[in-house]
Amino acid sequence: MNEPLMSLQNLTRTFDTRGGRIVAVDNVSFDLHKGDILCLVGESGSGKTTVARMAGGMLKPSLGKVLFEGRDINAMGKDDFKSYRQAVQIIHQDPYASLNPVQTIGEIIRAPLLHHKLVKGRREATQRVAELLELVDLSPAENYIGKYPHQLSGGQRQRVSIARAMTLNPRMIIADEAVSMVDVSTRVSLLNTMLKLSNELGVTFMFITHDLSVVKYFGWEGRVGVMYVGKLVERGRTPNLIGRSLHPYTRALAAAIPEADPDLTRSKEKLQLRSLDIPNLNALPSGCVFHPRCPYWVEGLCDVKSPPLVDVGNGREVACHVVVRNIQEGGNGRDLAPTSEELRTSSAAD
Amino acid sequence: MSDATKDQVIPDARIDDQEEPDHTTPTILSIEDMWVEYKTPHGWLQAVRGATLDIKRGEAVALIGESGSGKSTLGFAILRMLARGARIAKGKAIFTNSRGESYDLVTLPDKNFREFRWSECSMTFQAAQNSLNPVMRVKDTFWETAKAHGKRNHKEIDERTLDLLRKVQLDPRRVFDAYPHELSGGMRQRVSIALSLLLEPDLVILDEPTTALDILTQRAIIDVVKNLREQLDFTLIFISHDLSLAAELADRVATMYGGEIVEYAAVRDTFYRPRHPYTVGLLNAVPPIVGEEFTPLTAIPGSTPNLLDMPSGCPFHPRCPYHTDICIREDPPLMDVGGNHLTACHHHDKVTRDPEIWERMTAEEAVG
Repeated sequence: MNEPLMSLQNLTRTFDTRGGRIVAVDNVSFDLHKGDILCLVGESGSGKTTVARMAGGMLKPSLGKVLFEGRDINAMGKDDFKSYRQAVQIIHQDPYASLNPVQTIGEIIRAPLLHHKLVKGRREATQRVAELLELVDLSPAENYIGKYPHQLSGGQRQRVSIARAMTLNPRMIIADEAVSMVDVSTRVSLLNTMLKLSNELGVTFMFITHDLSVVKYFGWEGRVGVMYVGKLVERGRTPNLIGRSLHPYTRALAAAIPEADPDLTRSKEKLQLRSLDIPNLNALPSGCVFHPRCPYWVEGLCDVKSPPLVDVGNGREVACHVVVRNIQEGGNGRDLAPTSEELRTSSAAD
Repeated sequence: MSDATKDQVIPDARIDDQEEPDHTTPTILSIEDMWVEYKTPHGWLQAVRGATLDIKRGEAVALIGESGSGKSTLGFAILRMLARGARIAKGKAIFTNSRGESYDLVTLPDKNFREFRWSECSMTFQAAQNSLNPVMRVKDTFWETAKAHGKRNHKEIDERTLDLLRKVQLDPRRVFDAYPHELSGGMRQRVSIALSLLLEPDLVILDEPTTALDILTQRAIIDVVKNLREQLDFTLIFISHDLSLAAELADRVATMYGGEIVEYAAVRDTFYRPRHPYTVGLLNAVPPIVGEEFTPLTAIPGSTPNLLDMPSGCPFHPRCPYHTDICIREDPPLMDVGGNHLTACHHHDKVTRDPEIWERMTAEEAVG
């Protein structure tokens, strides 16, 4: 097996808050090989953005390592770290906040090219700026070069962020909720532009989102990790994981999302949870962090022992005592008996 | 099922459920040729351009659109909650109460309007979870609201409050005496919805009720609104950018684009037989979750229009694969194309969900 481009090894990150120490990310590991698309999905407080920040070298892990081409990024010398930061670029949620409002699009893209001496002279710079804008489908480039960020739409501004990230020929892009603030009608074309960078230039993607539907489209050829309160609870290839999710949390998410189809969404099978509330990071439940909400929890097991991520075959991993036991007993991991009668899975009859 | 098969199968299989024009149910709100403007350094910006919309008593109507479509502005205008520097330039909003009395909300004197708000119509805003008074306990907020409308029977108000909190799936013991900061965002959102129902309004407006909430919390809000509609008798208008929410909750869907209502139809007509290219474009861009098959998606070329520099004719024509010369010249009116299905498109009879038509639009079009 060839060496992964990036390897996150047992990443843990704690923060000290007024309410005490919280564990934002708890023992998260995964590898990304060249050209991979890995989507990390989770709700607020899941720790997905904290993982992204550690992978991007913006935050040091409390425990564990981020290896890039086999080397620990937090043990690198200044020059090596600098070239790491060039190789791994980050795209944020709000392009408006990350683009200088008094610079034109041309200036924004040109600055890193000149700073890193990637071009010789202004003429080559201008040519490269145009190439980069065309690469992100801001075409023809001359319509955009002289404009300021406020003159562009949200989707166009996010394209400028991508073009700027591409100036240094990165090996990998970490996209943190990169399409969350973009309108529906332009979201697909933005995702298509990023897919093009993946398919044609072999850029590796770590794609952070709360939206399973975006994962399904962007990450179809890749893998998904589902995070809940700092832990990776399920991981697998996208078609598999979305279509037949195993962890009760993932299943609850997939069941909860309304669909843009009236008949389908009104007859969709729902998974009733025991509680609506995400646990407080200051006072995490014992055992499995999901057990206070889980309809399938087993007393004396789930509230006592934290489940490890277990390989259940087919490249799928799940951190759930009940699902793993069901599969080991020959089940499919989905036909589970709810703990109590009133929580039995029901299709909504309206 | 792929989009292509859906397009072939559904019109035939479901043609029988086309809605007949409804002449019996009374109209609760009739918006007529509403124009709303904002003052900007570059002149007056028209955020709502001639919106016309009839809402029947008891219906749930979704007002769907992207940023800048005018959907929230229209909601604010009806309830006179426009920001400073905004004005209704023209138009009427005729409200008919349960006693059959009609009045224009645009010209209603302030004194009468205060009575109208809350008791006839209430509005819950986007991020309502942050709009509760932070120094007031939940029970006091309900009490103050009731008092402002002349209701002073403390016991009755408390009972109604407890009942409403239970109806929005909150534990009254935990919530009744709590301050807003002691509750989660989803709980505060449900408190706001309960509050909006306190004075038993006939019309409830929810502005982006699920935006910025986590998925499982969104589901809870959706289920609460569904249950409330089954238990209580009110008309619902909800404003959202989320088509799926409309699919789930609405009886009728009004799609807005560039300040205009471009399509208004029964929910199943909107989703299975859309007659406006923009609605089709939105539907082709929304990925489904269920199923193990990949669904290809199609983007709408271009980007949403600049309200200070609107295209001539139909506001959607620069992004529309069906557009012809007439679309550049004339803005089509919203017209009934049969079965109480209203659309504002010169080429409504040609519109299908076929994604190829969109893919053929060349890359020369400006990108969004």
